[in-house]
Amino acid sequence: MKTARLLLALPGLAALVWGALLFADYAFPLRPDVFGTAAWIIGAPVVNDALIAPLTAVAGLALSRIVPPAWKTPVIAGTVATAVLVILAFPLLWRPYGTPPEPGLHDGDPALGLALTIATVWLLVILAGVRPRKRPRATGS
Amino acid sequence: MLIPKEEHFKAAAHSERVTSRIGLALAVTFTVCFLTGLISHLIQHPPSWFFWPSRPVGLYRVTQGLHVISGIASIPLLLAKLWSVYPKLFGRPLVKSLPHALERLSILVLSGSAFFELSTGLLNVAQNYPWNFYFPQVHYAVAWLAIGSILVHIAVKLPIVRRALTRTPEAGPPSTGLSRRGFLRTTWLTAGVAVVATAGATVPLLRNVSGLSWRTNKGTQGLPVNRTAAAAGVQRADADWRLAVNSRTFSLAELRQLPQTTAELPIACVEGWSQSAVWRGVSLPMLLKAVGSEPGTALRVSSLERSGLYGVSVLPGEHTADDLTLLALELNGEVLDLDHGFPCRIIAPNRPGVLQTKWVTKLEAL
Repeated sequence: MKTARLLLALPGLAALVWGALLFADYAFPLRPDVFGTAAWIIGAPVVNDALIAPLTAVAGLALSRIVPPAWKTPVIAGTVATAVLVILAFPLLWRPYGTPPEPGLHDGDPALGLALTIATVWLLVILAGVRPRKRPRATGS
Repeated sequence: MLIPKEEHFKAAAHSERVTSRIGLALAVTFTVCFLTGLISHLIQHPPSWFFWPSRPVGLYRVTQGLHVISGIASIPLLLAKLWSVYPKLFGRPLVKSLPHALERLSILVLSGSAFFELSTGLLNVAQNYPWNFYFPQVHYAVAWLAIGSILVHIAVKLPIVRRALTRTPEAGPPSTGLSRRGFLRTTWLTAGVAVVATAGATVPLLRNVSGLSWRTNKGTQGLPVNRTAAAAGVQRADADWRLAVNSRTFSLAELRQLPQTTAELPIACVEGWSQSAVWRGVSLPMLLKAVGSEPGTALRVSSLERSGLYGVSVLPGEHTADDLTLLALELNGEVLDLDHGFPCRIIAPNRPGVLQTKWVTKLEAL
């Protein structure tokens, strides 16, 4: 165990030092845009902890109280998958900084693609919800 | 404001076993993503010791496809992992000791760099750049921070991982949320959905399945165009156009009179799409022999494109000795479209798309 931990930690520390040197290469001399990049790196965990995780908590609690037990797992899974699909679609839908479409690239219809993908996910949720299942076994107590 | 305490989180999602399982999956996807990204970086900025073969022809297509797929899969995995350990954020005291403080700081570096890699990577495949830095440089630097902090994190947590995965799980207190198994299955399923929804950009079988693929089937001559001639500031070459190969020059008609080779080769873009196509043109070993040069000599390839970073590329000897490396004149049975590099372009097996230089005007032995 000790050897395994050392074999992980030493290359890990070396990679961290190398990454810090490469980042310093980019960051120095300091310019205003470097602070933007640093804010991006630090900001993402803050957004997760202050926004995404509390939303997950509230949505999870609400769904597990509202949705009937047989539907709970499929509905929560469908909601999670929908949220991730929206994240994946975001850079395709929000494009003030995007390149213009080229032939064969970004010239599709991501809104339609997102809608169809989400519809498929919820079709599977419904199938999972209505599928016949065994009665729960008696637990003895 | 009501701030929860660590013990308020009772759901099975927060158990050590769940954290460890998702953590291991993330370790796999991040390692794959890091190594495949490193390969791509080394091909584009080869140090003297580095060697990249010209076969199998689709190897780079596979490594680059894995890079994007493992990155996409990591997005739900990272969110699930951070949700699993979220209660620890509310652990008190905030800092117990110096090692504890260092550990918390290392986790900030870990999640910051991991989020940065995934978010910038996702925006980059969408060619969406809401930032002011040069993406390859910073994405590469932060990749080392991410993989380094992951390795250190696993080293720190290894005893917990072992404990969590070897002990039979105790039945936790009943909670209203998902069961442990339900949470894990939801995580794997969501990662699967994310991959299926996007991987059609590079996996032919999913081409018409992935609703969120950033490439479509509307490319010119059946192939996406990453940079049009107009964007590159290139005009259609006229009858006076000549290709210079060392001290010799060739007109387009003369190139067409040389023996032609047909090959099916993929274009695999660093931005995570790939597409196979049938190319026809003069093989590089043939062309080099025609000018009295040896196949296996590295070549500098210059384009009519003057602006931009990719107007000049270096084709290593390994590739100039391969009969499948072509100076292509035709694509999918038609004369090369201007957007695909008319009058001629390089198409070499197992190379990143950005190095398949278009609108070639000069080849020089190095």
